[in-house]
Amino acid sequence: MTGPKRGRVGLAARLRGVDTVFRRELATVARTPGYAALAVGLGVALFGVVAVGGGGATGFVPAIVDLLLPVEALVPAAAVVLGYRAFLADAATGELAVIRTYPVGVASYVAGVLLARLVALAVVVGGPAALVGVYVGLTAAPDTGIFATHAGVDSPLLYVRFLAFVFGLGAAYLSVAAGVSAIASSRRSAIALGALVLVGGVLGGDLALLESLSAGTSAAATPDLLALTPNGAFRGLVFEHVIGVAFAPETDFVPTGRALASLAGWTLGGAVGGGASIALGRRVDAAIERVRSDE
Amino acid sequence: MSDHAVADGDALASVSDVSRSYGGVTVLDGVSLSVSPGVTAVVGPNGSGKSTLLGILAGVTEPTTGEVSHGGAGARKPIGYLPQRVPFRDGFTARETLAFYGRLVDADPDAALERVGLSDAADKRVESLSGGMRRLLGIAQALLGDPSVAVLDEPASGLDPTMRERAFRTAAERAPEGTAVVISSHDLELVEAHADRLVVVDRGRIAAAGPLDRLRADYDVESVDDLYRVAIGRGDGTGEESAAPAGDDETDGSVHVTGVSDR
Repeated sequence: MTGPKRGRVGLAARLRGVDTVFRRELATVARTPGYAALAVGLGVALFGVVAVGGGGATGFVPAIVDLLLPVEALVPAAAVVLGYRAFLADAATGELAVIRTYPVGVASYVAGVLLARLVALAVVVGGPAALVGVYVGLTAAPDTGIFATHAGVDSPLLYVRFLAFVFGLGAAYLSVAAGVSAIASSRRSAIALGALVLVGGVLGGDLALLESLSAGTSAAATPDLLALTPNGAFRGLVFEHVIGVAFAPETDFVPTGRALASLAGWTLGGAVGGGASIALGRRVDAAIERVRSDE
Repeated sequence: MSDHAVADGDALASVSDVSRSYGGVTVLDGVSLSVSPGVTAVVGPNGSGKSTLLGILAGVTEPTTGEVSHGGAGARKPIGYLPQRVPFRDGFTARETLAFYGRLVDADPDAALERVGLSDAADKRVESLSGGMRRLLGIAQALLGDPSVAVLDEPASGLDPTMRERAFRTAAERAPEGTAVVISSHDLELVEAHADRLVVVDRGRIAAAGPLDRLRADYDVESVDDLYRVAIGRGDGTGEESAAPAGDDETDGSVHVTGVSDR
């Protein structure tokens, strides 16, 4: 933190700081009933999608095809709910000021909070999604009509791969929402910022891509541009490495490396942004006041 | 502003010529202050800048201008801090709350609870503690890790007389061990009973500061209550508006507070 200066903090102390903050944050999440309700709600929605879509009765890949679009909205929403107050909570109550007097750096604090929230994401999103996979595995049977639509190989491993990409998508949104929460001044502004992240991410990326294409950008650049947004990267990876496995596409959906780097970049960017805001926020505020005083 | 050095050899923390404004409104204006082992009480009217001064001294509030230094910079936890509003996260017990902080500085939460007399409430959730208990828990937190400076912002606020005394006494008990305990309070009787030094803040400036006995003599008053009234220029009930002491250090609009660190 940027409180009173103290001696150099060693690696062991940093790790202990991360671990201590992580445990506290995880306990907080575990004791928040709303997150359990969120997991149940998400589970109901996902089961509903595979039941209504019919793909779940056929196999993993058909189920993923049914889940793909809803997941692009539901997972970011759940991730934003998990992250929109992550760094606001301690700042709003004033406890962050107290924590600043202890030997835990901003990086340790941010890492501890985010890691705990990512574990929560794995449980809240990954739990229901995994149960859907188990359900599909236990109940799916060949269905000629649907199989014709979703032809090709099928495997639980493809579903596991899908789950990994789902987690990557959620992690990107959670981290960005958490990072943005560091600049929120109240719960209301945190909700507004979280909604902005959600709408901007889910709709903004694709709209920006369409705008770019209509402005004359070559269609050949679409895979590269698509990979830049979390949703585009996720969708491209699923097409490339899950659905596409079943029918050998002629062109690449997205460059895999760029898409993975994009998801990692959004995740890391959210963490760095949140950390920078916590570390520098007071100095920036003081600098603004200094300018005001000089006027 | 003052360009005099304010810290002496015993100073454990000091602020030098610090100012702070919020939204363009100055709440602290060119204040210099250093604290040394013992109990330093910070008093002043509401909105005078006490909390801002304490926040800056604790290193949790960034001054608009000025310097802050802490003598125990090499310590694991040089400063202990209790904000005016006790901020602990709901859903955790008193023991769990202190365990979180204790783990960061290798301190035993149960010993800390015992020190403030909260052992019986260790398993109570923070939100179910009374206001007094929360403040005692806050004091226990601030004193965890044996900081060389403990900054407590109105630890006795809103408490009944017994709890107020207990909160003050608990904090003051650390002073003989070499800790600089800085407490803001409106309870001048408790200040009289426990403080070694006094800082009177008024309208963002230090109106008076120094060892309590010396200030009484300088201002020719009997009690802290009288000293407070005279120092902030509101008279002593006899109609006098102010009574600056002989040899007052305030010159050319600046505040020079050498007395605070005097032993």
